[in-house]
Amino acid sequence: YAGVGGSCALLRHKMKQSFWVLLFGSALIVLASAAGSDAGISFEYHRYEELRKALLSVWLQCPTITRIYTIGESFERRELLVLEMSDNPGTHEPGEPEFKYIANMHGNEAVGRELLINLAQYLCNQYQQENETIIDLIHNTRIHIMPSMNPDGFEKAASQPGEIKDWFVGRSNAQGVDLNRNFPDLDRIIYINEREGGANNHLLQNMKKAVDENTKLAPETKAVIHWIMDIPFVLSANLHGGDVVANYPYDETRTGSTHEYSASPDDEMFKSLARAFSMYNPVMSDPHRPPCRKNDDDSSFKDGITNGGAWYSVPGGMQDFNYLSSNCFEITLELSCDKFPNEDTLKTYWQQNRDSLVNYIEQVHRGVKGFVRDLQGNPISNATISVEGIDHDITTAKDGDYWRLLAPGNYKVAASAPGYLTVIKKVAVPYSPATRVDFELESLMERKEEEREELMDWWKMMSETLNF
Amino acid sequence: MASKYFGLFVLVQLFVLEVDNQTFAFPTPTASTDDKAVYNRQLTEERPLQEQIAEADSVKAAVQSAESKQPAAFKDAESEQASDDFTMLKSLADGQKSKDSREVLVKKEDHHVPDEADSTKSRRLADDYDSTKNGMDYDDTESFRQVDGTPLTAEDIVQKIANKIYEEDDRGVFDRIISKLLKLGLITENQADSLEYQVAEALQDLITKNAKNNEVEDTENIAQDTGGEQDDQGADMDTWEPRKRSYNEEEEEEEDNDDEQIEDDVDRDAEEEMEAADNTWDKDTEEGNEVGQGDGLQDLQYFPNFYQLLRSLNSEKDAQERETLITIMKTLIDFVKMMVKYGTITPEEGVSYLENLDAMIAMQTKNKLGKSLGLPEVGGPNGKNMDEDDNTKSETAKMQKEYENLRDSTKEEQPTAESTLDQPGKSETYLEAIRKNIEWLKKHNKDDGKDDYDLSKLKDFMDQQVESYIEKGIIAKDEGDTIKRIYGSL
Repeated sequence: YAGVGGSCALLRHKMKQSFWVLLFGSALIVLASAAGSDAGISFEYHRYEELRKALLSVWLQCPTITRIYTIGESFERRELLVLEMSDNPGTHEPGEPEFKYIANMHGNEAVGRELLINLAQYLCNQYQQENETIIDLIHNTRIHIMPSMNPDGFEKAASQPGEIKDWFVGRSNAQGVDLNRNFPDLDRIIYINEREGGANNHLLQNMKKAVDENTKLAPETKAVIHWIMDIPFVLSANLHGGDVVANYPYDETRTGSTHEYSASPDDEMFKSLARAFSMYNPVMSDPHRPPCRKNDDDSSFKDGITNGGAWYSVPGGMQDFNYLSSNCFEITLELSCDKFPNEDTLKTYWQQNRDSLVNYIEQVHRGVKGFVRDLQGNPISNATISVEGIDHDITTAKDGDYWRLLAPGNYKVAASAPGYLTVIKKVAVPYSPATRVDFELESLMERKEEEREELMDWWKMMSETLNF
Repeated sequence: MASKYFGLFVLVQLFVLEVDNQTFAFPTPTASTDDKAVYNRQLTEERPLQEQIAEADSVKAAVQSAESKQPAAFKDAESEQASDDFTMLKSLADGQKSKDSREVLVKKEDHHVPDEADSTKSRRLADDYDSTKNGMDYDDTESFRQVDGTPLTAEDIVQKIANKIYEEDDRGVFDRIISKLLKLGLITENQADSLEYQVAEALQDLITKNAKNNEVEDTENIAQDTGGEQDDQGADMDTWEPRKRSYNEEEEEEEDNDDEQIEDDVDRDAEEEMEAADNTWDKDTEEGNEVGQGDGLQDLQYFPNFYQLLRSLNSEKDAQERETLITIMKTLIDFVKMMVKYGTITPEEGVSYLENLDAMIAMQTKNKLGKSLGLPEVGGPNGKNMDEDDNTKSETAKMQKEYENLRDSTKEEQPTAESTLDQPGKSETYLEAIRKNIEWLKKHNKDDGKDDYDLSKLKDFMDQQVESYIEKGIIAKDEGDTIKRIYGSL
């Protein structure tokens, strides 16, 4: 007995030892990995040249999965640079959803800009370190990262002497235009259509013409509008500073009042998307977080998310423009109480937002997706995908592919196109991944021919039966 | 759609049964003064036999000519017609002669005549039931039934109209009737359309049969009658006989001959209509002719897919299917020709319809039979080229060119200001990045078991990319050179 007891004691001692080893070991591993994942990322502000250099380095390190391109120039001729990440950069692969992050449209809201530079580096590092989640994400998504939509404004803000940056200097572009009020106000149109009937999607008519001839649009705004029209973006987020919350459509209130919950048809999905970001950011999702400034009204914030109109009305914003002019769902992320905080806080901001940023990209793989083709297998582009009960339709892209973000539930999804017979399918949608639903549409001509054939079949049967 | 036809099929079957039932009940004609006179005359047994025979002959001759206008078949009428029968009856009966009605009565009465009457009378008996199809001829506009008490079928209406058009040789008849019906809201546009098809078909048949009958009548009038009568005696009381009746004269012939007859008629008609149809067909024959002429399917050569399909049905067991398909196809062609002839559609529309039909055959064959007709299939969406589909590159290239001059000047400033300070820093960073890439490639290829990555290929690719980036203003020339240099030194 004593022998057993003795060995038990020894065993317990050993277990205790191994427990500590395990604990320290795992702690070490965690530390190592944390350090490792943030290796190669510099936490300092990047001016325009440094920004360019940083993106270039990412490209040089991961040339097979990245590509740098520009969507145009700012007023002062700085390139609006985008780093694209996918397994086939430069190409839209049919069925692969497109995602974008845009930051720093207000030049003095600097944290987002830095976060996106960090994100690009991080994704490249992780890809090369065999991080399966990241590898899958990059292989199945086309991710576009624009660290700065307003490089001119940033330069102005960053050039201010001293540590404390003004709340307004550098916010607007070089022409003094607030880019987040500069987009065509489609909210007004949708509200009219809601009352009087009309289209529920793609409200910007004669797009190219309207944009190019509109003298009120800043070059940065124009460039982004063209970008939105050219690439069939599915999901997007727009990074800001000055508060900490994930904000979703609609931004402009229906009645014009300063505060009013203004739900979009996809209110459920937007709440889900906003939460998907906020829940991985410990500061944003902290229910006991005090407001950024003592007298701030954050009564509309819940779980780190808020409806735009409920917080305060914003007309002409980029977020709503995405939803109402294209298939893209966009939310606005406010990531720091300080718009242009001290450089040594950048690392903390990165750590707070890293997982949120990655998880939000994953959200693009939700809902229903697939192809719309005719009976010969040819893709039908610009076909309409409508969901019963949601007054917002989306359209198929050039390859007939579509992605319809939906919260979990049972839906009836219809595909229709002019000259074709509509097909409706019932789908049970889980949280994720996206459910594949393809449609084969019969053209009206084909149906007519089918009917004619049936006619002949019937006649043949009749004549055979009646014997002549 | 199928259910609609099924419904009509059932309806038709009911008719068959109904009429069959009627054969044993003597049909009760409604009276009119003229007919009464005839009736009475016929009943008198004391009438001299000769007179009766003579009368019978004249009646028979009249009947024959009426017969030739009889419905060739009950067509695949749309069932929507059924409800409109009654009013149709009314309006048509207005214009209808009552000539036939007398004959009908005569025939009916003969049913009672004892057997020693000449055989023409018993023939008339069969005509009776045949003539029920023509019930509308009976001059009672109030009656909604045929003489034997069965209601009119849609086919009858179609036949009536076809007969009328044929008699008057005027397509305007159809238009008048249809417009009247449309105006009265009795039929819809769709129904009018389908009615048109059916009438055209019925008309075609009329013409065909009439041509045949004319031929036959001229040569072997009496002999055929006898032959026909004998057949009729054997024929049962099936009232759907009429079409068969018309062909009775040629009953001895094979069915194949019928096909040939149709072919001949079709060819003949084709010739006529080709001229009428602005030689559109001629154009098509030249273009679409990839099939041999030898097998007598002249018209079908314009349909390569259909022909392929036929060819694929070459085995014996498929022979019947083949025949059926040919018949159907020819009928469709006739449809269209009739449409064109009567101006319902333009020749171009007819041609395009048939072309579409051919294409549709290919598709349907592929879908339903699972075989391809050996013609090129439609490619999937995989044939996309690797150029980017978004025009970010083209757009930016455009914008680059626009501001090229200005940009050059600004670019000159930047490098000179910063290059002296940053150049070593830059090259270091780039070097570091490139090194990481090479490392990863090495490791990656090793893991995959591939041979060492192709450094020269990578170098070329990078050079190319650098060039395009310089062009777009994403990197400066000297930066690009630095990068190229680094890759060159590897």
